[in-house]
Amino acid sequence: MELKKLQQHWDEFPEMSMEERPVLSSDLEKIVVKNPFSGTINLRRKLLIRIVVISVLWLAGIGQLRFQWKTDGPDLYQAVALFGLLTYSVYFHVRLLLFADYSTLLSLPLISFLGKLETVVDKYILSFKFISGLAGFYLLGGIEWLLSGWSKGAQESLSHNDWYKWLILIFISVSFDILLMHTIIPRYQRLLAAVRKYKEGIQAKAQNK
Amino acid sequence: MNNSSKKGGFDVDIRSLLKLQHKRVYSICRLFTHNYKEHQDLFINIIAAVSQNIQSRRQNSDKQTLILRACINMAALHSITMEPEPARERAIQFKSPDYQRSMTRFRESIGEASDYEKFRLFLEFEGMPTEELTHLTGLPLPGGVAGKKKEKESELPLQRKALFNFIPYLKEKLVWS
Repeated sequence: MELKKLQQHWDEFPEMSMEERPVLSSDLEKIVVKNPFSGTINLRRKLLIRIVVISVLWLAGIGQLRFQWKTDGPDLYQAVALFGLLTYSVYFHVRLLLFADYSTLLSLPLISFLGKLETVVDKYILSFKFISGLAGFYLLGGIEWLLSGWSKGAQESLSHNDWYKWLILIFISVSFDILLMHTIIPRYQRLLAAVRKYKEGIQAKAQNK
Repeated sequence: MNNSSKKGGFDVDIRSLLKLQHKRVYSICRLFTHNYKEHQDLFINIIAAVSQNIQSRRQNSDKQTLILRACINMAALHSITMEPEPARERAIQFKSPDYQRSMTRFRESIGEASDYEKFRLFLEFEGMPTEELTHLTGLPLPGGVAGKKKEKESELPLQRKALFNFIPYLKEKLVWS
């Protein structure tokens, strides 16, 4: 009975209106090239940019590692650690991009779609840890470079004291991570929470029926 | 004449299909939007999603299923992104008076229906069988079908179940599902 009433209201919608006009060919040409994902959900571009940037750093890392190895430089362990982190970061981001498979994501059944979206956002949040780690290495390099300009003695003392260098590196990485956690990450956490809540809500509703 | 010829980089087959199916896309917009802008944005996003789904489809996938899945998934995404919006911005506001009237009446009659109910209504209005809901969403059907599936799962050999739970932490870290 209720459904009959709804159907009646449904049928009362105007056949043609400003809201529901037929779609024109010229409009279609523009629409079909549009990315259906927008805002925080659209991670493909961000992942691609990160992969390109980290790959460039990875190539530079090879050069640095080779130089440190050949000259038996004081920063060999640091170069090895940075190279390892860069390699894993590239792998992680490429894997995430391939896993997300944005071109087929919307053709999945709703629950699989939401599940995959949840995993992608969750792993994207995790990927900020790699960014913090990398920021630690490069900011430390920046500090060393600045010190070499200002105070040669301080730079010499820092570059020959591995223990302090690692401590500074950890301190910078953790600080950068905290900074990200209070600036960029919350919007992705809100999205993740919203996707989870929606998925659980719709599943609970379906089971209660 | 070759129907699937490309014109301006866009498959003519897909264009004809989208033109034919635009009413179906508008139907889901009616259920999930509150104003003109939301309605137009959701419509555009669904059309873009349908086109993407069809262009990257596998050979055995059905176009109708891809269209309906794009509609449902984009509507869900719309609900997720619209959730933090304050209630005052969710008032029904459309440009054409007739459409505004029909929408107000329709919304009053469905009341505070959940998205699950809206998906069921969408399929009902589109004349799709109820069984399609599981195929399109992965959600259990209302009634006994879900129970049967659970029974089947419980028949899994214990050894296989133990294998699935093998080092859950490691599995969760290594296998993204």
